[in-house]
Amino acid sequence: MTSDWLDRLLAFCGTFIQLTVYLTALLPPVIVIGASLTAGNSMGFPPEGLSLRWYGAAFESTPFMTSLVTSLQLAVLAMAASLVIGFAAAYGIDRHRFVGRDTLQALALSPLIVPAVVLGIGLLQFLTLVGLGQTFLGLLIGHVVITLPYVVRTLTNSLLLLDRSCEEAAYNLRARPLTVLRRVTLPLLLPALVSSGIFAFVISFGNITLSIFLGFAGAETLPVQIFTFVEHSYDPTLAAVSAVVIVMTVVIMLAIERIVGMDRVL
Amino acid sequence: MDAATGQALRNRWPLPFRLPSWLFLCSPLGMVLVLFLLVPILSLVRASFYEGDRSFDATGVSLEHYMRFVGDPYYLGVLLDTLGFGLATAALCLLLGFPTGYALARMAPRHRRWCIIMVILPLTLSLVVVVFGWLVVLGRQGLVNAILISLGLIDRPVQLLFNATAVVIVLAQQFLPFMVLSVMSVVSQIDPALEEAAASLRANRRTTFRRVIIPLALPGILSGFTLVFVLSVSAFITPRLVGGYKVQMLGSLIYEQIVVLLNWPFGAAMSVVLFLVTLTITLLANWCLAQRAR
Repeated sequence: MTSDWLDRLLAFCGTFIQLTVYLTALLPPVIVIGASLTAGNSMGFPPEGLSLRWYGAAFESTPFMTSLVTSLQLAVLAMAASLVIGFAAAYGIDRHRFVGRDTLQALALSPLIVPAVVLGIGLLQFLTLVGLGQTFLGLLIGHVVITLPYVVRTLTNSLLLLDRSCEEAAYNLRARPLTVLRRVTLPLLLPALVSSGIFAFVISFGNITLSIFLGFAGAETLPVQIFTFVEHSYDPTLAAVSAVVIVMTVVIMLAIERIVGMDRVL
Repeated sequence: MDAATGQALRNRWPLPFRLPSWLFLCSPLGMVLVLFLLVPILSLVRASFYEGDRSFDATGVSLEHYMRFVGDPYYLGVLLDTLGFGLATAALCLLLGFPTGYALARMAPRHRRWCIIMVILPLTLSLVVVVFGWLVVLGRQGLVNAILISLGLIDRPVQLLFNATAVVIVLAQQFLPFMVLSVMSVVSQIDPALEEAAASLRANRRTTFRRVIIPLALPGILSGFTLVFVLSVSAFITPRLVGGYKVQMLGSLIYEQIVVLLNWPFGAAMSVVLFLVTLTITLLANWCLAQRAR
């Protein structure tokens, strides 16, 4: 029967496409890690012998290490700020009905679809105007704007699914509102807080599209530093630095997966 | 905390705490969004109407930057190319993302978790690291050239980078997670019983897909397609690194005007054009989805 034959072809194409998708998702990071382990002087493939010497070179390179520290500081601060702002707003949106509630919720997610160049240039201009251009605070503000959508979305979804009966039980036992928040609501939300916080960290740590406009000499983030090097010339040191970033990101993602499951964040 | 007790508690506190709870809780987010999202976009729009090409202390109102953009076939050509790249990337993502998203939705949760991690890996890794990985894969001494040489298909390395195909491939790989996730979320809402019903009525898989799955999954396909299109027309890091000087996209031209040539008003005008394009597409897609939902 022709239809069976076509169905089998369809199934085969589906499997083939899925294999391609998973292979291409893994290909760039695996190749970078492979190239970073070369003992030779060029980034050829296959690598000429194995060694860790480029990792040594990476850790001794001042530009990379300084920018790594900048990126880590920035990501931690952006995570903390967007968790505080995002939790307050998600709690307000979940527990109260007010004019503009839907607008606020839609607006909170909009940084995801505003082109990064538009946001980057707009912020650069505005921050320069108010005297925050070329400051670490300006860079931090930009990162908070782009990490907030993830935090607000995860926390509003989790608050919506939260079983309110524990809170009601606490109120019936005459607990004060702040005590209920501290002893009941926050502990119940902990997985969502942890995973959205870590996700915000990852997004801020890897961001280049905004940092490239808001960064400045002395506060380059690691991705911007990598970009600058890639644009000119590259050697295995760059592969080693990128491999460090890859391993860090993967470990963090696996941690989220273990804590709550990835599907809660997306 | 319920509103009445919260209010009673706060009446003894300093002024900002005496605001209604929702205002107190939501104002930080509202302030960040207005001050650092809306106002910057408005100031970008204002800057695009400045006279002359000074980046600082510019004054006046003129349409000269828009006239320059519209009047020059080069810029219009880049705009068209950019839209073409966006469409090609979104189409490639649909081709790859639909089967993957469908399979993920129908997969046992235990296997699905690991597959999802693999699918979203390009999203969580820094963009520049992924692009760098592709430069290593496609470079003259890269993996693809090494394979082609060892198979005897070519005898010396060929240039695989710096062309339109490479740019579309790298863009598609970056934004594929969005397509896969949005297809997955709609397909997982479709009851597998519908497929079984179609099968018991002797429909083959193709007919089931064409008449049952695809119509029901259309909202997810449309929103994934739109998101990938919007993200890829705004790309500037990928075209710059993978496309080199041969492949120009609107994003990379804007980056050049702002960072290299320091012509902020013209860069702002081009950004406004880009923003209008992406905004129109997004609103149009949302309108279509709302029409369908009714």
